[in-house]
Amino acid sequence: MPQRTKIDARGAFCPGPLMELIAGLKLIEVGDEIEVWSSDKGSAKDIPEWVAKVGHEMVGVEHCEGYDSIVIRKAK
Amino acid sequence: MTAQPLFILLCSGEHEKIQMAAMMASVGAVSDRAVHVFVSMNALFAFDREASPEQRYRGGEFSRLLVEKGAPDAMQLFEQGKMLGDLRMYVCSMALDITGWSEDRLVHGLFDEALGLTKFLSEAEGGQFVTL
Repeated sequence: MPQRTKIDARGAFCPGPLMELIAGLKLIEVGDEIEVWSSDKGSAKDIPEWVAKVGHEMVGVEHCEGYDSIVIRKAK
Repeated sequence: MTAQPLFILLCSGEHEKIQMAAMMASVGAVSDRAVHVFVSMNALFAFDREASPEQRYRGGEFSRLLVEKGAPDAMQLFEQGKMLGDLRMYVCSMALDITGWSEDRLVHGLFDEALGLTKFLSEAEGGQFVTL
């Protein structure tokens, strides 16, 4: 069962949520997940783009009230 | 396919341009792409380790908004790019000569070495080049 870590980056501006995600990925094991909460309007597109480029896995994006919840699985 | 390295020539002392250079450098460096930043001219003054946050950045309306809204600080973005990705930063040796500054005068931990423009341009051949 993968562990999931939550990063609340609401209120942070680009590229803050992405940088927080990357720092968080260094601290978890392969197969575990990170859920980023971001109110930055670009994150819902920027983070999946970054994930695809570097070879991790997108679990999903959920649009919530005032922020997006973006879940990533560490793949390497 | 390996991405082309990104070379950023940062000359402007405008906060907005320094911020964009820091954003491009940090995001590029953490995206499996080598990024090289060469700092010269008025941009040098933003990297003065003795400058207060108020003295460091000079800009227009957007600069004021960046500060007011608490956008990530450009120096911290460069630092994150170095810590989390493949970012190398160079200070222009001519700019150091003109100002009389040593590398020790610059924000610690950011710069890899002082470099001449000729060497930087030579390294930049084959990469993507951006001037700010």
